[in-house]
Amino acid sequence: MNDMTPNREERVANLKGLGCKRKRVEDARFTQGKGNYVDDIKLPGMLFGDFVRSPYAHARIKSINAEAALALPGVIAVLTAKDLEPLGLHWMPTLAGDKQMVLADGKVLFQGQEVAFVVASDRYVAADAIELVEVEYDDLPVITDPFKALEDGATVLREDIADKKEGAHGPRRHHNHIFLWEEGNKAATEAVISSADVVAEEMVYYHRTHPCPLETCGCVASMDKINGKLTLYGTFQAPHVVRTVASLLSGIDEHNIRVVSPDIGGGFGNKVGVYPGYVCSIVASIVTGKPVKWIEDRMDNLMATAFARDYWMQGKIAATKEGKITGLWCHVTADHGAFDACADPTKYPAGFFHICTGSYDIPVAYVGVDGVYTNKAPGGVAYRCSFRVTEAAYFIERMIEILAQKLDMDAAELRRINFIRKEQFPYHSALGWEYDSGDYHTAWDKALEAVDYKGLRKEQAERLEAFKRGETRKLMGIGLTFFTEIVGAGPVKNCDILGMGMFDSCEIRIHPTGSAIARLGTISQGQGHATTFAQILASEIGISADKITVEEGDTDTAPYGLGTYGSRSTPVAGAATALAGRKIRAKAQMIAAYLLEVHDNDLEWDVDRFVVKGAPERFKTMAEIAYASYNQAIPGLEPGLEAVSYYDPPNMTYPFGAYICVMDIDVDTGVADIRQFYALDDCGTRINPMVIEGQVHGGLTEALAIAMGQEIAYDEMGNVKTGTLMDFFLPTAWETPNYVTDHTETPSPHHPIGAKGVGESPNVGGVPAFSNAVHDAFRAFGLKQSHMPHDHWRIWKTANKLGLHG
Amino acid sequence: MELKEEILIPAPRDQVYAALNDPEILKESIPGCEELIKHSDTELEAKVVLKIGPVKARFGGNVTLDPSGAPEQFSLTGEGSGGAAGFAKGSATVELEDRGAETLLRYDAKAEIGGKLAQLGSRLVQSTAKKLAAKFFATFAEKVTQAQNQEGEPAETA
Repeated sequence: MNDMTPNREERVANLKGLGCKRKRVEDARFTQGKGNYVDDIKLPGMLFGDFVRSPYAHARIKSINAEAALALPGVIAVLTAKDLEPLGLHWMPTLAGDKQMVLADGKVLFQGQEVAFVVASDRYVAADAIELVEVEYDDLPVITDPFKALEDGATVLREDIADKKEGAHGPRRHHNHIFLWEEGNKAATEAVISSADVVAEEMVYYHRTHPCPLETCGCVASMDKINGKLTLYGTFQAPHVVRTVASLLSGIDEHNIRVVSPDIGGGFGNKVGVYPGYVCSIVASIVTGKPVKWIEDRMDNLMATAFARDYWMQGKIAATKEGKITGLWCHVTADHGAFDACADPTKYPAGFFHICTGSYDIPVAYVGVDGVYTNKAPGGVAYRCSFRVTEAAYFIERMIEILAQKLDMDAAELRRINFIRKEQFPYHSALGWEYDSGDYHTAWDKALEAVDYKGLRKEQAERLEAFKRGETRKLMGIGLTFFTEIVGAGPVKNCDILGMGMFDSCEIRIHPTGSAIARLGTISQGQGHATTFAQILASEIGISADKITVEEGDTDTAPYGLGTYGSRSTPVAGAATALAGRKIRAKAQMIAAYLLEVHDNDLEWDVDRFVVKGAPERFKTMAEIAYASYNQAIPGLEPGLEAVSYYDPPNMTYPFGAYICVMDIDVDTGVADIRQFYALDDCGTRINPMVIEGQVHGGLTEALAIAMGQEIAYDEMGNVKTGTLMDFFLPTAWETPNYVTDHTETPSPHHPIGAKGVGESPNVGGVPAFSNAVHDAFRAFGLKQSHMPHDHWRIWKTANKLGLHG
Repeated sequence: MELKEEILIPAPRDQVYAALNDPEILKESIPGCEELIKHSDTELEAKVVLKIGPVKARFGGNVTLDPSGAPEQFSLTGEGSGGAAGFAKGSATVELEDRGAETLLRYDAKAEIGGKLAQLGSRLVQSTAKKLAAKFFATFAEKVTQAQNQEGEPAETA
């Protein structure tokens, strides 16, 4: 037998464990159209729901007449707030401590708001019927500007809480005010700023946009009235939390609710929250006794389910003449829309925005965030980023550029002299975070060298001269970004959602023949969990990743977890996976010791087996141990080989990276041609370099979209002007530039395998890199700030304002 | 959205003015008009089927006329709702310049639209509105001319 044993190198390769560029196991079905998405679920007798939505952004509802709709053959029911009220379901709590109308109760507060829910035998009948529901509105003044919302005589938006002086996050100072959240030392920061050599001040706006996953939100609710069980299939990024919320809202015991997230076609934060569609489908299924499906169309998705960003960030950054930063001050006016439905950990109404000191050693800082109601859709989700982290990264990376401009200094050098130094980690930031690890100087130098930064600056200077001589109409911009994220929420002591601590979990069963199934509390939406979590486990338990099934998303079988968003799967559930694997290995060691008739301590682990120390020919492989665990009576040990781990991380993880974007801007057409993009990511231990590269490419493309054209724009009447993909920019291969990826590897000291998370880094770092490149192109002409998205029209206007059109 | 245009109608001003107050002529001239009821000299109710881009809807609305400057000028305001398709509000000033046998009609209209119409049709609204207005006045001029010609003949219709 021993002769047949492959050598150690081959055995390591067979595992396809950590570091292996393993092809995604999911892709076999996705690329052949064999995915199983919520809209693929078809249950016998299933009915279909669709919403009557408000065309007005702010109006009182005078009457709703469903007679004509109900007369249409195939229409089963039309639900309004009046029908939900006796059940107490016409309003529902939000994740942010506010409440939200499920169906319009007396008035509507944003365009696209759900007014009535039509249930019909067919999707098309439902769509026809919503046009037959007659709703009479009395329009009210519309507020789409958060600054106007806070003016003295501003129209009261939320009449239900107009007199409430206290909100979920402290005092409310105006009827359209939600909260003021503050961190840091305001007095000390203002003192530093008032006496500083140099202060750069700017309003940096991160516009409203939308995660716009290719698959929109939807669900199928199926109430089995015989056994009292509710099954809810849906596009849920946090299925277990949805089950708990569904139980609390409906009064159905939690064991009688099964929530299933099937394949999900992208989430990006859009699928974290609880939406009226879910509640109405459940109610409709209970009322009719039949399964009810609700699937958003694209306009529904862009208009009504969670948006992202919309942060007006007023900043002041102080420095010495030499460029050493001495203080940072920031005040945010945050437009939360009609209801505060942000998906943030309970204690953090502005998420982790206070990571806004970035990668820099800033001695004193202050941040204050005012949440404001407007007549826009609710949301404020973390669109491919941890909670408000991409807003924070954009803010500090713009402020650094503006400071460099004011100091007349090279922005790369300004960053270098202010970086937190390697020996300062773990680093305590002025706003209260403990950065676990980092080596910023090494990453920065590697990045600058890789792109030949000095050469680029020289070329840029020459181009500028040529432009001034009238030889070219194209300017060159070099967009620099060095970002630090805070991901992997999070420690239960300070992170929870609706009271549920933000731990995560993994449960492993080893089968008798040496293969395994691992179930996790997270849910993949395209991240490739089935591929990468099997790799983590393979390296821990010595079973090939090809022999490990990873299953997520069914609350009847998976252990409880808080789900997938905020780059938390690898930092939290990945850690649980490694630790559950170690529990398996600990028991396996005892079994191996029995089988080899040696003491536990006489064994050592070697890739896929336990070997007797000093006698390498005597060993038991994991497969042999697994078999023994099921067929031998081992004294003192229970049969079987299973383990479960619930992991409460001691800290967040802090991935970082250096991105450099080079573009040529035609000042006459406003077209920005991105000719080079270099992305260096440090996500700690790299589980699967191919999956990382895929994540970085996808995230950079979303960053490109956001920075260069994607937005949810409203006109003054509160009309959503970007409600279809004709107006909402979703890049295709045509607009997407070539990316060069690179890495350094600084493992997280507290994570069991040192991994930090990477899925969101390219969005966090990418947006400022693209935007800084646009600004940098015009730096020589004095441009300080021009707001995103930098579409051709806005770039042209910038050039025009700077007098570049002659 | 603003619309401004002028058109020469081959009929005297008083006839043009009368036609603009004639529900039958208006109904035939307004593209997609299914129903036009005159409640009083200054109040009209209309049902119009409109198609803008992918949105087709039946709009029901009210129009209020202000004839205080007649016949040189009159103004109107109106609002209509197309249910799920959205809504529209607007006002217009119409000036009629006497040019003997002809009349120069100038209009200056402002409109606000909301709902699906505004979202889906925003790129098309301006051009569609222009097209509809052009169609209206073309038909209107035709109807006025017809009416004028018929006047010379023995009365056939009421």
